[in-house]
Amino acid sequence: MSDYPSRHKARFPERVGRGTPNFMSALLAFIVVALTSVSAAPASQAATYVPISGAGSSWSANAIDQWRRNVEQYGMRVNYASTGSSDGRNQFKAGTIDFASTEIPYGLKDGGVVDTPPSRGYAYMPIVAGGTAFMYNLRIGGQQVTNLRLSGDVLTKVFTGVITMWNDPAIAADNPALSLPARKIVPVVRSDGSGSTAQFTTWMASQHASLWDSYCQSAGRSTPCGVTSNYPTVAGKGFVAQPNSQGVAGYVAQRANEGTITYVEYSYALKTGYPVAKILNKAGYYVEPTASNVAVALLSAKINTQKGTAAYLTQDLSGVFASTDQRTYPLSSYSYIVVPTNSQNGFTTAKGATLGAFSYYFLCEGQQQAEALGYSPLPINLVKAGLEQVRQIPGVEAKSIDIKDCNNPTFSSDGTNTLAKKAPMPSECDKKGVTQCNTGTGGAKQSTTSTKKTTSDGKSTQTGGKTTTGDDSTSGTTDSGTTGTDQPGNEDGSGDTGDGVTPGDEFTDDGLAPDGFVSDSQTSSYGAAVAANYGGGPIVCEPDTGVCTNVVAEPMTLESAGSQGPSSGAWIAMAVIVIGVLTPALTTALSPGKRRGAKAS
Amino acid sequence: MDDVISPRRLMTKRETADRVFRGGVRASGTVVLLIMSFVGIFLLLRAWEALQVSGFSFFTTQAWEPDSGNFGIAAVIVGTVLIALVAVSIALPLSLGTALYISDYAPIRLRKTLITLVDLMAAVPSVVFGLWGVFFLQEKIVPVAQWLSTVLGWIPLFRVDGVDPRDPLASATVYTSSTFIAGIVVAMMITPIMTSIMREVFMQAPLGEREGALALGSTRFGMIRSVVLPYGAGGIVGGTMLGLGRALGETIAVYMIISPVFVIQPHVLANGTNSVSALIALRYGEATQMGMSALMAAGLALFLLTLVVNFAASSIVARSRSGAST
Repeated sequence: MSDYPSRHKARFPERVGRGTPNFMSALLAFIVVALTSVSAAPASQAATYVPISGAGSSWSANAIDQWRRNVEQYGMRVNYASTGSSDGRNQFKAGTIDFASTEIPYGLKDGGVVDTPPSRGYAYMPIVAGGTAFMYNLRIGGQQVTNLRLSGDVLTKVFTGVITMWNDPAIAADNPALSLPARKIVPVVRSDGSGSTAQFTTWMASQHASLWDSYCQSAGRSTPCGVTSNYPTVAGKGFVAQPNSQGVAGYVAQRANEGTITYVEYSYALKTGYPVAKILNKAGYYVEPTASNVAVALLSAKINTQKGTAAYLTQDLSGVFASTDQRTYPLSSYSYIVVPTNSQNGFTTAKGATLGAFSYYFLCEGQQQAEALGYSPLPINLVKAGLEQVRQIPGVEAKSIDIKDCNNPTFSSDGTNTLAKKAPMPSECDKKGVTQCNTGTGGAKQSTTSTKKTTSDGKSTQTGGKTTTGDDSTSGTTDSGTTGTDQPGNEDGSGDTGDGVTPGDEFTDDGLAPDGFVSDSQTSSYGAAVAANYGGGPIVCEPDTGVCTNVVAEPMTLESAGSQGPSSGAWIAMAVIVIGVLTPALTTALSPGKRRGAKAS
Repeated sequence: MDDVISPRRLMTKRETADRVFRGGVRASGTVVLLIMSFVGIFLLLRAWEALQVSGFSFFTTQAWEPDSGNFGIAAVIVGTVLIALVAVSIALPLSLGTALYISDYAPIRLRKTLITLVDLMAAVPSVVFGLWGVFFLQEKIVPVAQWLSTVLGWIPLFRVDGVDPRDPLASATVYTSSTFIAGIVVAMMITPIMTSIMREVFMQAPLGEREGALALGSTRFGMIRSVVLPYGAGGIVGGTMLGLGRALGETIAVYMIISPVFVIQPHVLANGTNSVSALIALRYGEATQMGMSALMAAGLALFLLTLVVNFAASSIVARSRSGAST
């Protein structure tokens, strides 16, 4: 791997430093990358791989996109379209794609119809863990709220149209430090069939069944509603439906769309620079879906261990919902890909070789980046099981991977989940009660100054106030977006930081940075953020209690989609275009020869 | 009498090249017709299953739950038509003005550049228009929608429910993802084609009549009113109808902007609307067999609607003076 970087860099200069922030440029960048990679596809690498294509979940798309960019240097072309889990599963069933990505398995009953499993052979393979986060756009007196907290009951009521105003007493009870505005809540839901919707509705159906059922009923569905991939909407409730995770996140991230809240994977909040709501867990703490909190939560997930059955490795999350660990983020889950286990529907052994190699990559090395991207790495048992599943792919070049070399942050010598074990306890101010932390969440790390005098027991530090995201062009540097959170003297506590690999641990982090990340920094902006994060994730410590909170994931891009200030380069490019278009027009207009005038007279 | 010399029969003797060419041209014409009818037949066949389930209620039901048999196009077809009408009512003055400027006002040397520019606009992919609409236009246009609804709110079409103009904390979201915004974006996409057609026709307005009007003392505007516009009426209608046809079928830009709702939404400024093509794009990937059939039925309805619009257009155009040229 370390042979490639320099060559690779030279070959793809146009991708370096790409990926300024908002969705638009990300999408355009994607188009450009897709176009350029056609012409610049690596010609002769050690192994020649056949391109493969997949589709599905946009929940896990940020991770998959990062991985597939990383493996491009090995000559693997993995096309992926984040069209939603339902679409992914259907396309896999129809045989139009080589693998699908989904949060929920086949065979669930949705709206009275069972999603029948495909006739081709298939197996599930977990790819990454993460939290379904609740990203919101809310200001109080012009200041962005970044520390909103919601209990499960309130959350369900918001998304079922029972609570319609931000100043509802129930929300106020969750947020003693905020005097919330009399603004309408606009829940933004997915319009397409989505795994995020499925995860969220699984939780609602399990925890708040009566609220969910009565909402479903008013939307014309039969009850009990249960899990569904298509969020039912009731006309006139003021819900907004948008396609895709990018769609809902992009909608909430528009500056003008104040009062919106949506469910989306945590990485999208990091990407757009918006905060997420801390959700109350059964232990009475409001927690954020950081990598470590998700890892703790998923210790309680029940994984199907009936090897040989189709449902092998699928998840049962009821334990997660009920977990009483203080650090548990209740809406944590695993995401899966569905891989074919025999050659049908145009799936050849050559494709199997690519898919196998790609799977080996993301199950092992790829997990290192999960945290920085806004996901949580898989624990050792699922990585092991996944590596075994890879062998079922026809044509795979089976490898025996020494799991210790993966540098997965969850691994330890004694089989426990290091990431979960080292997960910091939530601050006392996150406990249900009269206090409320004012530190930021998600992609908006700036703290919210208390809007009420009563609370805020002098904790936490930064009065950085509004470090409005977006004005920071140096998104690769360590401190960006976390103004003031790095306090002196914390650097040595890096055993707890986002790196996950503890110095005293059996695996050293030798080679982790040079290998895992050098390749990234060439490919995309995520890479830059990852690399920066590796240098020592910022930590927020409470001066009073000494409790350090690990700010695990950096915002990858620091721009609110609302304020799209083109950089100076963009202005120059625009000027060039305008001049190029107008010059011929003006020269013709100004040049002598007024034939029209002559004619008119 | 029989001996009376009958006229000499005129024969055309065609050469090989001529015959081959005629054959080729004829074949292309036939193929287009065949393709059109096959599209119709295909849609009908695939839609049959759904149409049998829903029966006539297909045209009156607003909900879209094909798997439970409760589905219809009442809401989506109304949304489609409204989006197209908004688009046309914006694109019509815009393209009429552009076409007249190019044909009658622009300096001759500037004409070519302008024509190229307008054609260039037609070459912009619709996904780009969609991105532009979602991430740029939407934010900027909300105040306009707000103003329209405040001033013209007494007209049902422009009313937005759930809005209190005195509430300083009212969310702007009620004005987003609306028929209006989708219509504006679609208008940008149909303007080029409408402009081209109108310009072509305007430029063909007989020079003698133009000069006659000018010679009789008419101003240029008077000349346009008395010569160019009457002559080009067919082109205006034809171009508009063609634009309407495109607007009805526009998919991806609409898909990206709207927030789909399955009720008839007559308020063009309010959040939530729907369109047949966006519905198909949204749901085809995840549809069951029944769902697919229902989507095909919706597609068939749109197909027929577009057909009607286009036939109406051609019959109007055929009656106008410039008819033959459009």
